[in-house]
Amino acid sequence: MIDFLQINPGIWLILSGLICTIIPHTPFTQLYRKCLVVCAPIFTAFMITQIFTSDIAIGGLISIAGIELTTLRIDNLSMVWGYLFCLIGILNGIYGLHEKCKITDSAALIYSGAAVAGVLSGDLLTLFLFWELTAISSVFLVWRGGEHAYAAGVRYLALHVLSGVILLIGAVIHAKFNGGSYAFNHIGLQNLGGWLILLAIGIKCGFPFLHMWMQDAYPKASITGTVILSAFTTKMAIYTLARGYVGTDILIYIGAVMTCFPVFFALVENDLRRVLSFSLNNQLGFMVCGIGIGTELAINGVVGQVFVHVIFKSLLFMSIGAVIYRVGTAKASELGGLFRSMPITALFCLIGAGSIAAFPLLAAFVTKAMIISSVIYEAHHNSVLYLIAAMLLFASAGVMEHSGIKVPYFTFFSHDSGRRVKEAPWNMLVAMGLAASLCIFLAFPWGGYQMLYNLLPYEANYKPYTVDHVVFQLQLLFAAITAFCLLKKSGLYPAEKRSEILDFDWFYRKCGFDLLKSINLGWNTLDAKISNITRSAYGSVNKCLYGVFSPIGSFSKAAPSGLASVMTAAMLILVLIIVYFVR
Amino acid sequence: MSLIKKSSQQVKPFDKERDIHPFAIPFLWLGNKKVIKNFIWIPFSGLILMILIGLLYPQKHPAPWDVIPGSWALIGFFSYCLIVLCAKPLTSLLAQPEDYYGEGGLLDPEFSVENMVDEND
Repeated sequence: MIDFLQINPGIWLILSGLICTIIPHTPFTQLYRKCLVVCAPIFTAFMITQIFTSDIAIGGLISIAGIELTTLRIDNLSMVWGYLFCLIGILNGIYGLHEKCKITDSAALIYSGAAVAGVLSGDLLTLFLFWELTAISSVFLVWRGGEHAYAAGVRYLALHVLSGVILLIGAVIHAKFNGGSYAFNHIGLQNLGGWLILLAIGIKCGFPFLHMWMQDAYPKASITGTVILSAFTTKMAIYTLARGYVGTDILIYIGAVMTCFPVFFALVENDLRRVLSFSLNNQLGFMVCGIGIGTELAINGVVGQVFVHVIFKSLLFMSIGAVIYRVGTAKASELGGLFRSMPITALFCLIGAGSIAAFPLLAAFVTKAMIISSVIYEAHHNSVLYLIAAMLLFASAGVMEHSGIKVPYFTFFSHDSGRRVKEAPWNMLVAMGLAASLCIFLAFPWGGYQMLYNLLPYEANYKPYTVDHVVFQLQLLFAAITAFCLLKKSGLYPAEKRSEILDFDWFYRKCGFDLLKSINLGWNTLDAKISNITRSAYGSVNKCLYGVFSPIGSFSKAAPSGLASVMTAAMLILVLIIVYFVR
Repeated sequence: MSLIKKSSQQVKPFDKERDIHPFAIPFLWLGNKKVIKNFIWIPFSGLILMILIGLLYPQKHPAPWDVIPGSWALIGFFSYCLIVLCAKPLTSLLAQPEDYYGEGGLLDPEFSVENMVDEND
């Protein structure tokens, strides 16, 4: 008898995705497929609840080639990610109801299933398996963006598969230092394995100089694809950091840099989906920094921030996706004034923008403050952390710039682009409405944020709605908006221009590619020269041999019999010498 | 790889003045030039108010910069200005034509995706 509570719940989503692939492509069966896309995450959430409430902390134990695998672990930490991935899977399913594409539905289910299974896995080898599955399944969502997304998809796949390979090597080395155990608990940086695993996570998580795949692939994916992609991969990486590297100092500095540098790129970027990708990178920085701090308050802040971030970031990607669906572009230079045509989408986008900027009564207000507060509290013992806190505040102003102002302003307000389109389809509005409601509900002072705090791994005593917190946060946000208005009025705010903004990927997309082309050209030239030299050498040898052995060669000429005898004797002696020494 | 092409279905052209969503009509004043010009007074008033309240209710766990009145307002204002003023040098350093990598750039059809059909569908 199969005990279903011993099966990793992510498997149900993966199975649903596989079923989707075999459902025939007809209008009638599409209904079943769409039901599956929405219902499978609900069933998975139900299974997570069943397992969590039945006190099965660890399950699905398998022994392969003498290695013990723990394919299921549900505790206070992994449970939050499990529920979150199911929730966002439902929202994504509703958002994509209009899309007839079988590949998107199947890939989305397998991808979300792999992410759920990954965060609920209890050992590094199981994690590796689902880590790679997320890469392989999600690339189809990138490729669904069309022909222009093909190269970005290949780069995306290459980097993510590489990340998985590094994770595997790191896991093997780490296990060697830990008596052969692949258990996925605290890893740390005590051995090379720990560093390699951190590097693997760094690729998925968008550490500085490893982040480019996000801004490369996400804006090129399909409309639904980008929304789905933004939710899982990076949050799975944050989970692995929160599980394996809590309190690792280097993460504080990496996280702080991650919060700051995308702010500058987001400002000069014209494509709003790319702006949101930089914004995603910036938000991940807050989480990485919090994990580096590692106190209970910081970890609670990280987990809370992950939860609300997935919702409001999806909401922002959904609203820009709806604009692309109706208008056909996400370029700020081509948009403006769309609140006249898409007022409901504009409202949802504003809620998402307010949430990410941490306005009081909106989502990030109750979570991001925990991370910044934890840095300031720790700075009382280590004054260097004041610099980190200042960087986080700087980045908060940056968030207000790119996500709080730029995205809604250039899309829905700004100058009137004259585009009059229909409001987003009903299913997109329902998905955005649900996400927007969650952004409000999860920050609601009376019973809302408390529900979010109940999900956090440690007891949350933090009070977000204190006068000083509300007032000082509003100071920061009002100051940023005032600065925007002043700069706009004075003409110092840069106009949006169509361009390709170079990032670190320039080194391999342009420099590396040109280098490969040069190497190829050099190799071809060398090959041609070697061929010429070889050909002329063969020609010379051939000519010599011809001159000696051919019918007109010197050996063919009449020679005295004595000379022939001498030659024969010499050859015989030579053969005898060779045979003697060879034997 | 999927290919998308424009649907043969004709789309009714929109009228810029008339085709406004009914929900948007009460908010058309947001596009009024006078409103846009004077919008700055809303955040500025809020800012002054918050600085004044901040003097009465200081931070419970102050950072060194919190001894300056309106410290978070100053951080927000100057951070924002710094970020925006970096745009010009950054653009001149990093901006290239859209076809720089020769991969076709980002999604930018001249028509809505809504009117496209997928050959794979």
